Amino acid sequence: MRQRITPDARLGLLVALPFLAFVALFLIYPVVVVMIASVTSDGEFTTESLQKALAGTYGKGFANSIILALTTAVIGGVLGLLLALSVKGLERPRWIHNTVNSWSAVASQLGGVPLAFAFIAAIGTQGIITKIFMNLGIDINEFGVSPTGFWGLVVVYLYFQIPLMFLVTLPALNGLRPTWREAAAVMGASPLRYWRKVGIPILTPATLGGMLLLFVNSFAAYATAYVLNPGGALVPLQIRFLLQGNVISGEEDLGYAIVTWVIILLLSSLLLMTYLQRRTLRWTAS
Amino acid sequence: MTATTAAPLPLQSPLESPASPPRNSSHKPVNLTRVFRWIYLTLLGIFFAVPMLAMARFAFQSVPVALLTPDKLFTGWSIEPLMNALTDTQALNAARISVTLAILSILINLVLLIPLAIVTEIKAPKLRPVLTAVTLLPWVVPPIALVVGVSATFRASAPWFLASIYSLVPFYALWALPFTYRALDAGLQAINAKTLYEAARSMGASFTTTVFKVLLPNMRASIVAAATLTAALVLGEFAFASLLLKETLPTYLVNFQRSDARGGLALAIFILILTALVIGISVRLMRKRGLNISSTGL
Repeated sequence: MRQRITPDARLGLLVALPFLAFVALFLIYPVVVVMIASVTSDGEFTTESLQKALAGTYGKGFANSIILALTTAVIGGVLGLLLALSVKGLERPRWIHNTVNSWSAVASQLGGVPLAFAFIAAIGTQGIITKIFMNLGIDINEFGVSPTGFWGLVVVYLYFQIPLMFLVTLPALNGLRPTWREAAAVMGASPLRYWRKVGIPILTPATLGGMLLLFVNSFAAYATAYVLNPGGALVPLQIRFLLQGNVISGEEDLGYAIVTWVIILLLSSLLLMTYLQRRTLRWTAS
Repeated sequence: MTATTAAPLPLQSPLESPASPPRNSSHKPVNLTRVFRWIYLTLLGIFFAVPMLAMARFAFQSVPVALLTPDKLFTGWSIEPLMNALTDTQALNAARISVTLAILSILINLVLLIPLAIVTEIKAPKLRPVLTAVTLLPWVVPPIALVVGVSATFRASAPWFLASIYSLVPFYALWALPFTYRALDAGLQAINAKTLYEAARSMGASFTTTVFKVLLPNMRASIVAAATLTAALVLGEFAFASLLLKETLPTYLVNFQRSDARGGLALAIFILILTALVIGISVRLMRKRGLNISSTGL
């Protein structure tokens, strides 16, 4: 009982403490202060701000952001999974695998200012794609495909969502062992039956987990949305609006409340994602 | 939601079949699966290429889109906008700031995480779940949320801190934590660090010698990969810098583009290519060692 702290454990603590102190000071402390501020007013507990943050314009912001995040997560998830399936099945040109892989690592990080510029040049009112479709007699802006429209934003977000989905589902796909398919075939299962009974059940948690990550990624995206439409009714843009001092007196805590909701939403999505990931690992870990 | 997500798979499944069981192995089948795969890849390729090409055209061709006809496709090209952007003193200043921030963030992360990753791997495996949980936190608190907390706390308690451009460094280091740790950890796993360490120790090497002469040289690829990914993140981060009113390369880019539309796009292309190269290097480097890089940090 006496020597509970072994030299190894002491070394562990020694290197872990600066790291944990760093995270505590710059991440935990500000977040905790915001969360406490969001449920107190003059030192007393109240959920008033939390309720206000989900009502009116701000409630609408949450609805818009969630719909946008869900749409890009589902579409991006399906297209990204199809990309992974297509690439995995193509063995012949050897470069294709590496190219898509590297490109995805790059493109999944591109959700920023330059990406917004690129899409303004493509589907903005002076965009070249807009112009090409105009010549064909179709006004794509009318269908909401403009940098400020809903579907325009979806298209822009897909640019980094599809590669991100590819990156997170490829390991799970690689975990599907060829031997399982052979075993199923030997026992007389049709390919369809193999997919229904083996492939899909194993891939489903990975797919849903990937989509949750896409959801989080899209919900938190700021730069692209800001450049395309700074006045848009999305949560990140509303946070900016409040942070820059555009607050009616008595609503100072509103920004804190919105941030608290955002953290609750993202935290629960990520917890669910880790749970699904663990289920995937049960089958696909090497 | 479950229904929609599962939908593409059954469609894919009959297509997948020719690859597996022997019964479909006639010599030259018109391989429909392959055709569909290539069509899909081509369509996605177009989707990824078009916005970039549109941006390049806007930046480097001085023909307004309204006047662009097929016969004018090759007129009016010049790289002058890029030259203007790259000789703009303010742009250079912003670039210098971003590079400094990147270097400092990389240093903080490496100083904090290299000892931690090594000790966790060879001495204190109990730290692993703690690290995994902590490295998920930056996903939970995105820049746009953390900036509110930072304004609420440091603005009052340490105004001198937020006044400095270097106040961005700890936060950039924070968001780079996940993939820095993943890269270092992948490197340690790949060289079988624990075995190496025990072998060196049993031959009489001291702890420090083992770390500096055996482990660190073997981790070079992961260290460089972590550094380049961090650099890419810092060169692209906009939300935090913009809301704290700091002029970094991305925030300057937005202002610059308002005054010089074409120069702004040219500069954006330049930054994009730079970012792509930086990430490309780290992917290559890790792959050469048989490691898969986790640019997502998951």
